[in-house]
Amino acid sequence: MKSSKADIATRQAFSERMLEYGAIDKNFVVFEADIGYSTYSYLFGDAYPERYFNMGIAESNTMAAAAGMAAEGRTVIVCGYGVFITMRAVEAMRTFICYPNLNVKFLSSHGGVTPAVDGVTHQATEDIAIMTTLPNMKVLAPADTESAKKIFDVAIKTPGPAFIRLMRDPLFDIYSKEDTFEIAGSKTIREGKDLTVVTYGDIVFQALEAADELKKENISIEIIDMYSIKPFDKKNLLSSISKTEALLVVEDHQKRNGLGYELSNFCLKNKPVIFDNLGLNDTFAESGNYYKIINKYGISKKQIFNKVKELIYKKGGK
Amino acid sequence: MNNKFQNFEERVQYLKEKAKEVRVNIIDMIFIAQSGHPGGALSAADLMTALYFDILKIDPKNPRWPDRDRLILSKGHACPVWYSCLAMRGYFPMKELKTLRKFESILQGHPDMRKTPGIDMTTGSLGQGLSLGVGMALEGKLVKKNYHVYVILGDGEINEGQVWEAAASASKYKLDNLTAIIDKNGLQMDGFTDKVMPMDPINKKFEAFNWQVMTINGHDMKEILITLEKAKKNKNKPVCIIANTVKGKGVSFMENIRKWHGKAPNQQEYEIAIKEIEENNDEIK
Repeated sequence: MKSSKADIATRQAFSERMLEYGAIDKNFVVFEADIGYSTYSYLFGDAYPERYFNMGIAESNTMAAAAGMAAEGRTVIVCGYGVFITMRAVEAMRTFICYPNLNVKFLSSHGGVTPAVDGVTHQATEDIAIMTTLPNMKVLAPADTESAKKIFDVAIKTPGPAFIRLMRDPLFDIYSKEDTFEIAGSKTIREGKDLTVVTYGDIVFQALEAADELKKENISIEIIDMYSIKPFDKKNLLSSISKTEALLVVEDHQKRNGLGYELSNFCLKNKPVIFDNLGLNDTFAESGNYYKIINKYGISKKQIFNKVKELIYKKGGK
Repeated sequence: MNNKFQNFEERVQYLKEKAKEVRVNIIDMIFIAQSGHPGGALSAADLMTALYFDILKIDPKNPRWPDRDRLILSKGHACPVWYSCLAMRGYFPMKELKTLRKFESILQGHPDMRKTPGIDMTTGSLGQGLSLGVGMALEGKLVKKNYHVYVILGDGEINEGQVWEAAASASKYKLDNLTAIIDKNGLQMDGFTDKVMPMDPINKKFEAFNWQVMTINGHDMKEILITLEKAKKNKNKPVCIIANTVKGKGVSFMENIRKWHGKAPNQQEYEIAIKEIEENNDEIK
């Protein structure tokens, strides 16, 4: 699988597809909380002003009003930054959207430390923990332009609430028009035999770079892009770790209660293997260059490289 | 509903009798459950009776009729008043009222749109109902339907900042299909509203958000009817009806007493309460 530099961020890709889809499905509406020029929801708003509701800088009201409309049977997309919609407005999301299982989808930008320069206030590094805990919620995190667009379609066609984690800045593109995505799906983007790395979103590209370096040392890792975080692809995970007997989960999120915790639990019950996970280690990050931040906080290719070697040594391999 | 009456007086008299029945059911169900919130249910009883037995355009045989008026009880803990009205209107059998708060009942401790026929929206978390109503009213405008959305709020829950976010958004979208009714009984869980968190003047606050405000006695059935009809005809602005009420209205020992916010009567209290409600023929003012 070849990667090339992306022209646009996943938040923009998702919103561009939302605009296109507005002509295909004339029934869904979009709620925004005054960051439309950042989530790119303004594209939809300009084309369909009567289906676009900008509720101002008031996420709780935005969320509950979206719920009120969804209670009428309408599909609603709520746009926002991860930190605000998963924390400030989480109770309305839980009680009025997830509890009655309404058709509301969340365009959640600025996932993980991808808004690196914005600093901690805007970095959603606890969103996966909170969202995966809500009953009925599905959680998706596309890594590139093509998957962001296709995952828009998946989300809108799937009944009930769905949270889609998106990134602030363009990184790389790996998928092509032929690739398909689904709820509880995953993509094995590199095949290997010594260890399985599971990741999602921006860290997919760190894993790919680490794999190239490891290859030079004759270590072959398998990389799974677990873009569907809840529910996740148990089948692909089981078949991969049955082959490699070692698993490393890396994510741009707190280690605690992220995908790493979920998969360690799964492995313990179903297929115990050599395991570790990388993520923010019970800490907040800080402002600065994205690559410097992920390196300092232990989720970059360097830490993946080192951790893979450590785990393989544990496994009794090279 | 109102065609069957010769005159306005008859209509009012009918509703007063219905309100008595609603109050009896409230006390009954909370007594049987030995749990629930009588104070705020009783203060809203006349308002809810007027809505369910006169004002609302509804069809109990078709709870999800697309053209029906919507009602959201934002003060969800007062749901015994909602359940009483719904059962009496035939949304579900009266015997269900005896299952309030019980395991696997259709009548949850707080309202649940997926379990109870006639409940348009799940509520119970305070300060959110007006936002939910804004969403429903926006939907009405979007699909160009003539239904009206009523949101019943407590005067305690307007402490929540989100109520005022909702107030701003309702006026932005000129939601004249939305009426907020504040059951201003002057008490919240921890005491009198003016002590816990003073919100007066509520009328000026809503006026400042560009709402049409009307103030009434929330136990005067004539005034309730006249005002609700006026609210429905209002154009270009959402309406806020501030209904001055008495918490625990109709049961003397519960009236204006903080502890009856969320407490069930014992056998003796229950008997006195039912007797008082049934024997009260006074013109309520």
